[in-house]
Amino acid sequence: MITLDSVTKNFGAFTAVDNVSFTIQKGASFALLGPNGAGKTTIVRMLLDFIKPSSGSIIIDGWKASNPESRKDIGYVAEQHIIPPYLSGFAYLSRHASLIGLTGKEAAKEVDRVIEMVVMKGQERKKSSDYSKGMKQRIGLGAALLGQPKLLILDEPVTGLDPIGIRDVRKVLENLRDKGVTVILNSHLISEVEKTCETAAIMHKGKILVKDTIHAIVKDNETLEDVFFRYIEQNNE
Amino acid sequence: MNNVIKITVYTISDQMRHKSFYILLGFSVLFIMMIRGCYDGGYSVNGETVDNATVAWHVSKIVFHLITIGMVLMVSMLSMKIFSRDHEDGSIVLFLSRSVFRWQYVLGRVTGTWVLCLVFMFILHLTIFLITWAKTGTIISGYLTASLVCSVNLLFVIACVCLLSLFMPDFISALFTMGILFVGFISDGGYQFVNSDVLRSTGLSPINPAPALWRVLYPKVFMVQTYADSIISKSEFHNMGPFPPLLNLSFFILFIMVLLLGSFNRKEI
Repeated sequence: MITLDSVTKNFGAFTAVDNVSFTIQKGASFALLGPNGAGKTTIVRMLLDFIKPSSGSIIIDGWKASNPESRKDIGYVAEQHIIPPYLSGFAYLSRHASLIGLTGKEAAKEVDRVIEMVVMKGQERKKSSDYSKGMKQRIGLGAALLGQPKLLILDEPVTGLDPIGIRDVRKVLENLRDKGVTVILNSHLISEVEKTCETAAIMHKGKILVKDTIHAIVKDNETLEDVFFRYIEQNNE
Repeated sequence: MNNVIKITVYTISDQMRHKSFYILLGFSVLFIMMIRGCYDGGYSVNGETVDNATVAWHVSKIVFHLITIGMVLMVSMLSMKIFSRDHEDGSIVLFLSRSVFRWQYVLGRVTGTWVLCLVFMFILHLTIFLITWAKTGTIISGYLTASLVCSVNLLFVIACVCLLSLFMPDFISALFTMGILFVGFISDGGYQFVNSDVLRSTGLSPINPAPALWRVLYPKVFMVQTYADSIISKSEFHNMGPFPPLLNLSFFILFIMVLLLGSFNRKEI
């Protein structure tokens, strides 16, 4: 479903992503792990064509990432989801629904469905300027879930959420995984990744250090966290 | 519904939520209230009573230009923040994380701002037109057509400010655009003065009747305004060079839009 082929992204003299290649199969739940500045968010932004790769190519469902058709079935949650302060959660979701081609009653029904899914019922008519960070994040997740996406890209989706919110997001992700939705999760929370994803890649300084199923990466008597630190420390030397 | 139309509609609704729009609305209402009085009184010059309709006609023409100038200033204020505000409040991610081409987003934003300002300016001009009609019974033919002609100037300003705002701070981009208009005002205004009936009636002839090439090719915002004035006055329009001002400005709008779309396509979100 997603293929990155020798993708490099330079910001001036700094190389944020260095010759990265990998493939994510349809229906997989894939995690990108790495310390700050590893290049995870840069990869996410390139998948959405917010930034262009300096070299290499990105193909999503047969479309180049630069073609908006590639985003037709993508839901995206940003690290800190920003919602225009003058829009209510409902209005924001309605705009998303309209942009994915839903209209009238169909759109209203779908918006109601995701509002319940992200536990924002009763809060949806408030202006987003009155929302907490966590509430904005929930609405962002709701926007990503509109219209039954085939691919969900989540960039630190639980930032700002309380433990209950984190659990709710995990449940949603598990549910989507079971329905065969491809999930790309970019997270610092290794424990969450372990619970929700089957495959993972550890990134450091723009390079992929390892990419495999979590079962294959984690050896006996180790946790994913141990593996993560081992790889990072080895590559810091 | 096409994405451009959707974004146009969202832009109109978004722009109407901003403070600057309400400031514009407030000033306009105040202006109309103040100007209404000019149509009421009897006027006399050198002891002779002047026909009320004549005064109303002249006042309406002056007000026409004041409204247009005010709208040009206002439109530059509204358009200078389009991209930076969208970046800050997440609107840009809302649109571009969906199946929306970048050109559709830019075109939707520009068109929405233009349509809003065009309609706003037209309503103001229509109000003056109706006041003149109601108070003096005079119908100024061409007044509303002239308003639509001047709306092309607004589109030029929006496109120009939006393009410049990709490369420089918002306020500077608006200021820079005003600078472009000011140079045009001096160049085209000078040309109009030299060719004016007032100067001709004095018997003076222009020293250099052929303007320099850059003046002929320069964006003809002021000339469009003068052309609109000639529609109201039904007077002769002195064009500079072979290209009609609307054609000149349409070319510049097209050129700037191509640059804007190209530049925005390379922009990192």
